[in-house]
Amino acid sequence: MLNKFFKIFLFTISLVYFSSAIKAEDTIKIAIIEPMSGPLASVGLDLIEGLEFYAERINKAGGVLGGKHIEIVPYDNAMVAEKTIQQLRKVIDEDIRYVTQGVGSNHALNIIKTLGKHNKRNPGKEVIFLNHSAVTTSFTNELCNFYHFRFDANVDMKVAALVSQMTKDPSIKKVYLLNQNYAYGQSFQAAARRLLAERAPQIEIVGDELIVPFGKILDFNPYVSKITSSGADTILTGNWGPDAARLITATANSQLKVKFYTIYAGIPAAMNSMGVKISTFNPIVQVTEAHENDPSHPDWLKEIDKEYMAFSNKSPYADRQRFMIEMFAAAVEKAGTADPTAVAWAMEGMTARGAHGDVYMRPDDHQMHFDMVLSHISTDVEKTFIYNNEDYGMAYVTDGWVDMADITLPTTCKMKRPKK
Amino acid sequence: MDVILFTLFNGLLYGMLLFMLSSGLTLIFGMMGVLNFAHASFFMLGAYFAYQISKYIGFIPALFIAPLIIAFCGAMVEKYALRRVHKFGHVAELLFTFGLFYIIEELVQMIWGKVPVGYHVPEYMDFTLFSMSGMGYQAYAMFTLVVSIAMFIVLFSVLTKTRAGLIIQAALTHPEIVSSLGHNVPKVFMLVFGLGCALAGLAGVLAGNTLGTEPSMALSLGPIVFVVIVVGGLGSLKGALVASILIGIVQTTAISLDYSINNFIELIGFSVDIESLWRILIDLTISQIAPILPYLLLVLMLIFRPRGLFGNRDV
Repeated sequence: MLNKFFKIFLFTISLVYFSSAIKAEDTIKIAIIEPMSGPLASVGLDLIEGLEFYAERINKAGGVLGGKHIEIVPYDNAMVAEKTIQQLRKVIDEDIRYVTQGVGSNHALNIIKTLGKHNKRNPGKEVIFLNHSAVTTSFTNELCNFYHFRFDANVDMKVAALVSQMTKDPSIKKVYLLNQNYAYGQSFQAAARRLLAERAPQIEIVGDELIVPFGKILDFNPYVSKITSSGADTILTGNWGPDAARLITATANSQLKVKFYTIYAGIPAAMNSMGVKISTFNPIVQVTEAHENDPSHPDWLKEIDKEYMAFSNKSPYADRQRFMIEMFAAAVEKAGTADPTAVAWAMEGMTARGAHGDVYMRPDDHQMHFDMVLSHISTDVEKTFIYNNEDYGMAYVTDGWVDMADITLPTTCKMKRPKK
Repeated sequence: MDVILFTLFNGLLYGMLLFMLSSGLTLIFGMMGVLNFAHASFFMLGAYFAYQISKYIGFIPALFIAPLIIAFCGAMVEKYALRRVHKFGHVAELLFTFGLFYIIEELVQMIWGKVPVGYHVPEYMDFTLFSMSGMGYQAYAMFTLVVSIAMFIVLFSVLTKTRAGLIIQAALTHPEIVSSLGHNVPKVFMLVFGLGCALAGLAGVLAGNTLGTEPSMALSLGPIVFVVIVVGGLGSLKGALVASILIGIVQTTAISLDYSINNFIELIGFSVDIESLWRILIDLTISQIAPILPYLLLVLMLIFRPRGLFGNRDV
């Protein structure tokens, strides 16, 4: 009896061992380190789901290198920066050569620094960081690294897109800057001041405020009162989360008519939190790489969006996840190997299909460049935003496109490259 | 004149919000000596319950039902858990409520998901009631103000003017005598804890739709309510009211003042030419430090008057 159990046990063990061995040979693993627990878990889980979907599409179409599959391996950092390092060490120990992350620039910074040391000390064991959303500009400037690739536009580029759009609206004369007082908000503020002076000298900055970030401010009325008395017609803000939702709610409730130019105030979770009436009281303009209701949204992308909707019961939001995985697959194919150094060389200067022309990975600093769309929240849309089968009753309407050339900014990156 | 009027009025509005948030906490502490770390969690539950109930039967029923459910939850927590932990002293109680905070947060995420839910101001109160110095005021904000003032009056008169209030106060200081007079002291404590939680729940119902209802709302709210009850004096309802309005007015005033030390120096005819950390310090405007002023007040209060404004014992 015991003997039989022992045999079954041994058999199972060997089966598990061999199957994992076969799997390891047949897949190229990408580790994703995001919050899967804690207050920001929804963001992390949605991103993981998205990446898994886009990887599965590549796999279904035959994979890469003649049948190898791309496998997404999730790791939870619970939004604690130290945990990100711990999980990254685990990723390195398990010999996964590609890691992706995006929520929280402090986490991304930890990955860049840790991998910087690891890649220098362990030649032949390099790990590539595919940064899908961490937008701090310095990552592709003074902190740039050969093994880091950013697939989202950085803060400066996004602010450049917002300012370019603002210059097209002659009714904008006075702008109020209001940002969160930490690294990201400060870099938004600095970029806004610089780019407004360069590109829109006719627009006057009538207020410049830094606030305590992360939902610590309950009452935004004093700020609304200041904005009212400054006579501003536009608020340019990088705020996200409750800091954005409460500012916009307070503005709408006090009947102040202004335009909002933002990066993250219009993300789906924020829309739902504010509701239709507040989200559409003032125009909330946001900048993204694509959105479903855009008239120039290509047919092939509509097909993919439809598949994504069927897969996740959510409207697509971050198209950058798609072009990141597609470019990665193409780079592996081009390199003819899954070796990170070869893939990194292949990815430099590469292009992939985007929603509005091609997207381009600039070789100088490994910063992705693409046309960006400005849109505002409206109920008058063809397709309303759906999240887990819940209809939000609103979505985005295109205000205009900003050409890649208009948001291409010089870089200070002096990249050290390995031998080919 | 306009500015002063706005500051006072907005200070009152914001202060009453803070008072609603912290009155239950100071009540529980004053009556039972329990520092309830999970207080903000009951606030969050209030918002979520109100969201769920108002989805089906409307906002006004939710205003009554949600706090009642939370009062029941609070009473059960006291009866079956806190009472047992009480034997082991205040540290055990503190740790218990600390754990409860995380349990409630996880439960909320499991039931309602991790993204903010769409809990909004009811449509019939979503209009501008009046305008003052260029700012419109929503009818709902006035409704909240009225409810919170009514809440203070009812609570204060129940505790000081009625027999029930007398028993509650006596049960705190002389539990043995009160129980030998034939009153059920554990039951009194259970009711007080339930009431305290219900007050937090009511605050959640009223504020959840303007602040946003999401799983992290309890966490970001935690610190400020402790400031209110310490500044007001632990256990003093009157103190909580005064401290809330004081903080409301101080913060509203500070945000509207864009002056820094450097402005002052320039005003008296000097110019400072330094490039160091001090530069950041003298360029810091009062409006930038406004959100930390309540905490500064907390520190000063603990140094110079540890019992708070109206408290009768030291922290």
